[in-house]
Amino acid sequence: MAGRIRKLITSPAGTLGAFALAAGLLASSSIGGARAALTYYSETYTSRVQMYDIGVTLLENGQEVSWRNYDSKRDNGSWQEEKGALLEDMVPEGDSLRIGVWYPEELKVQNSGTINQYVRVSLYKYWLNGEGQKEQTLTPDLIDLELKTDNGWMIDEESSTEERTILYYSRVLQSGETSPAFSGRLRIDESVAKKVTQTTEETANGMKIITSYDYDGVKFCVEATVDAVQEHNAQDAIWSAWGRRVTVDNGMLSL
Amino acid sequence: MRMKKAGCFIVFLALIMAVTAGSGRAWAYFTTYASAEGGITIALGDRTEIEEEFSNWEKRVTITSDPDSEPVYIRAKAFGSGSYPLTCGGEGWSDGGDGYYYYDKILSGGEETSVLSVKIGNVPENDVEDGTMFNVVVIYESAPVEYRDDKTPYADWDAVLDNGISQSGGGNKEEE
Repeated sequence: MAGRIRKLITSPAGTLGAFALAAGLLASSSIGGARAALTYYSETYTSRVQMYDIGVTLLENGQEVSWRNYDSKRDNGSWQEEKGALLEDMVPEGDSLRIGVWYPEELKVQNSGTINQYVRVSLYKYWLNGEGQKEQTLTPDLIDLELKTDNGWMIDEESSTEERTILYYSRVLQSGETSPAFSGRLRIDESVAKKVTQTTEETANGMKIITSYDYDGVKFCVEATVDAVQEHNAQDAIWSAWGRRVTVDNGMLSL
Repeated sequence: MRMKKAGCFIVFLALIMAVTAGSGRAWAYFTTYASAEGGITIALGDRTEIEEEFSNWEKRVTITSDPDSEPVYIRAKAFGSGSYPLTCGGEGWSDGGDGYYYYDKILSGGEETSVLSVKIGNVPENDVEDGTMFNVVVIYESAPVEYRDDKTPYADWDAVLDNGISQSGGGNKEEE
């Protein structure tokens, strides 16, 4: 039986028959389409195309400072970004920085994209000398930035150092949502005004002691970087993008 | 035989391409970032100078702060011979009860205090001979303005400076 079928397929008559069948199928499908076009009118309908645009914005005391948002509608997809400066309005105009006084420094993260995301923040505190170089001999601890961790933010102690603090927001930041503040206020510790270096030199009238303030003329700096990653498959995405193993369970991120 | 090997190779290649294409998609996560930085330069230290005039057995003292000095509080104390009592006072100066007279305003850079008058009393003018030495010493101290949590300014006259080796008293002290 199989032999007869094989013989039929391989014969010129079989090939001709198969060709005729294919041509018939093709023709009937076209006719079907043409008939469908003649007999069926679809209802007017609208469709919504979801664009997967990720974006994040850093806010300081309620003001947008820096952002980087993907806009798939503009120029066939492009990044809209702005990098602003922190602490610009910290000291009122005409006044000078008062050592030991708390100044508002409320930093928040806003999801300025169209997809939900997880975010983390890397905070850096350091001193710059007159030449703009990092001053390693002065301690960042005296730049007292009050962090808030009772509102969903948590410190990654393993990755933090004296100069750097990493904070993760444990909840999903929905599109358009603004996180609670991860910092509240900032001050320069008053002990800064008491750190001195004393040198002595012989003079005609005896010993002269010269006292100079260690922190005079140095600049304190605060730097904040916000990272955002998609909510979908967040555990692997965070490992891939940030190099940090986290657990995401029921939408809650834990370290 | 050779055709079979080539066929196997093509199938293998197709599999590899399919797998790597899939993994490529898996690594394409949506990420972004935003950053900002800023800072403020600290100005510490002060330099003040005392000026005084003497006439009619009265020293009139003013203290001036250099323009680039940080704001300070000022206090002053006068010493003289026990036989000739000193009477100090002036607008804006008040007796602290500890021998010092305190200037009640913050002295910002470039400002000067009002006059502190130091009057020498009980002077026997008729008995003073030419060439007789008579010393009245005025010392003054400055202390940087500090702030409490409620932003109230104050001076810590007992502040101890930390020079990393030993500790020494704070404030600037000068004699005239």
